[in-house]
Amino acid sequence: MNGKREGMFAFLFLLPFFVAYVLFTLLPMLKGLQMSLYKWTLIAKLHFVGLDQYVQIMRDPEFWNALWNTTYFVILSTPTMIVLALGLALVANRNSRLKTFYRSVFFLPSVLSVTVISYVGLFMFRPYTGLVNNVLKWLHVLPENKEIFWLTDETNAWLVLVAVTLWWTVGINMILYLSALQDIPDSMYEAARLDGATDRQLFWYITLPSLRPITSTILLLQLIASYKVFAQIWLITKGGPLNQTRPIIQYIYEEGFKNNNLGYAAAMSYVLFLILLILSLIHMKWNQRAEGGTPA
Amino acid sequence: MKWIYRFLSICLALIFLVPVIWMLAVSVKVEGFKLDSVFDWFLPPYSLDSYKKVLAQTPLLTWTGNSFIVATATTALVVLLSSMAAFALSVLRFRFKRLVYMIVLAGLMVPGEATIIPLYQVVKDLHLLDSYSGLILPAIASPFAVVVLKSFYDALPGELLESAELDGAGLWTIYSRIVLPLTKPAMSSIAILTFIGSWNSFLWPYLCVSSSELFTLPIGVPTLMSGYTRDYVIPMTVNSLSSIPIILLFLIFEKQIVKGVSLTGLKG
Repeated sequence: MNGKREGMFAFLFLLPFFVAYVLFTLLPMLKGLQMSLYKWTLIAKLHFVGLDQYVQIMRDPEFWNALWNTTYFVILSTPTMIVLALGLALVANRNSRLKTFYRSVFFLPSVLSVTVISYVGLFMFRPYTGLVNNVLKWLHVLPENKEIFWLTDETNAWLVLVAVTLWWTVGINMILYLSALQDIPDSMYEAARLDGATDRQLFWYITLPSLRPITSTILLLQLIASYKVFAQIWLITKGGPLNQTRPIIQYIYEEGFKNNNLGYAAAMSYVLFLILLILSLIHMKWNQRAEGGTPA
Repeated sequence: MKWIYRFLSICLALIFLVPVIWMLAVSVKVEGFKLDSVFDWFLPPYSLDSYKKVLAQTPLLTWTGNSFIVATATTALVVLLSSMAAFALSVLRFRFKRLVYMIVLAGLMVPGEATIIPLYQVVKDLHLLDSYSGLILPAIASPFAVVVLKSFYDALPGELLESAELDGAGLWTIYSRIVLPLTKPAMSSIAILTFIGSWNSFLWPYLCVSSSELFTLPIGVPTLMSGYTRDYVIPMTVNSLSSIPIILLFLIFEKQIVKGVSLTGLKG
């Protein structure tokens, strides 16, 4: 094969991808840096302010509040997500005729759009007429003349947001656990059983240790995904009550598009990017150590 | 013990199913129905009037069409562009190959959410805001898809490509007649995951599009939801209608979707 021709061919094959990649990924990265150094509105670029906006972010209580809210969401949702995903995978991995039924049921919510799951959640958790309060009254957990106001109380609002998010996304992590469970060789269980191990021992000494690599992967993917949380919170609580559930992306959005302050929003995006980058780098290191393989 | 376990499993499955069943059940109830007990949510009388009403009085069908156009175009372009790039990076020899691959890998570290503000500015500068192109083009370069496909192309036996080369097959033939057909499962996984991701995408369409006739389902649906404080039938009809295509897709392609997720990890 003629090397020059092959080089030309490679160039042509890479070109379409790279045109889009440069325009919509690399260029915005640079543009974001530029915007973060300027006063920049929806209409026009105003004046250069240097690093002022980054200094301002560090002193902005609203920024810290939004960052804390996001972190709080991460703390609430990540451990519950991992435990639930593992539990569901164990259920769906049992040898029973309902095996595929369980898998489908647990995964189904993951394909629904964030709008649909948010509005189903929102309507279910309504006071007076919502399904959740109905069921709680029917079970006599909640007295007939009482109501739980799910979305106007901070703690309850977080509960709803975490519950809806778990219901929506746990299926994907369940699938990851499920395929890891199926990779554990049966011979290991058989050998241990011959040695007289109980079901409980099999779980603690074979299943759990075998799941360690996938758990660290899920953990870090989950951390990254949770820091980007926005749409379900925007649709269910709008960040309320009183911005107490407002995540960082919502603050970026509102500052940029409602307050017409794209420069400041771009600077905050960069701070978020740094946080996510650090998490990604940890993930890559972790993966490399676990598999000794290529980063992906 | 076994029965307790079975009972708990069924309860879990019910908890997962109930919101979807509730959505579908309420959507076929009669508007303004009276709720005396919990079961009234699920029991007849049923009626499809709310479906007729929503389809006649809202642009939901147009938005479904938009979602379909955007998701299909995005998927087709992602598969085409990433498979071409992955072919070059896997099979072809050229200068700076490592460097080029490193640049693609770096893209895995850039979360779309963190560049949404400058992306808006770039798309605005290109005069693509509020258009199909503006919805589609920013999503078509997926470093993730390139990396996944490259790993599949790398796993193809080298002798196969070499013998094809010796038989005088051109590079285009090797790509389209050998590499593509042999990696169909990987490509369909990428395609299905891209389609679902695009179909459900919220933040970018929300910023990019302002005219209602260009809305996709996820950003159109919220505009229909305000003002329903007492009635649940119309909102759940809207939810059901906008979910039915993706639920059907899920039922048809479940095996591939599940395989795709476990094969490629998660994205989106």
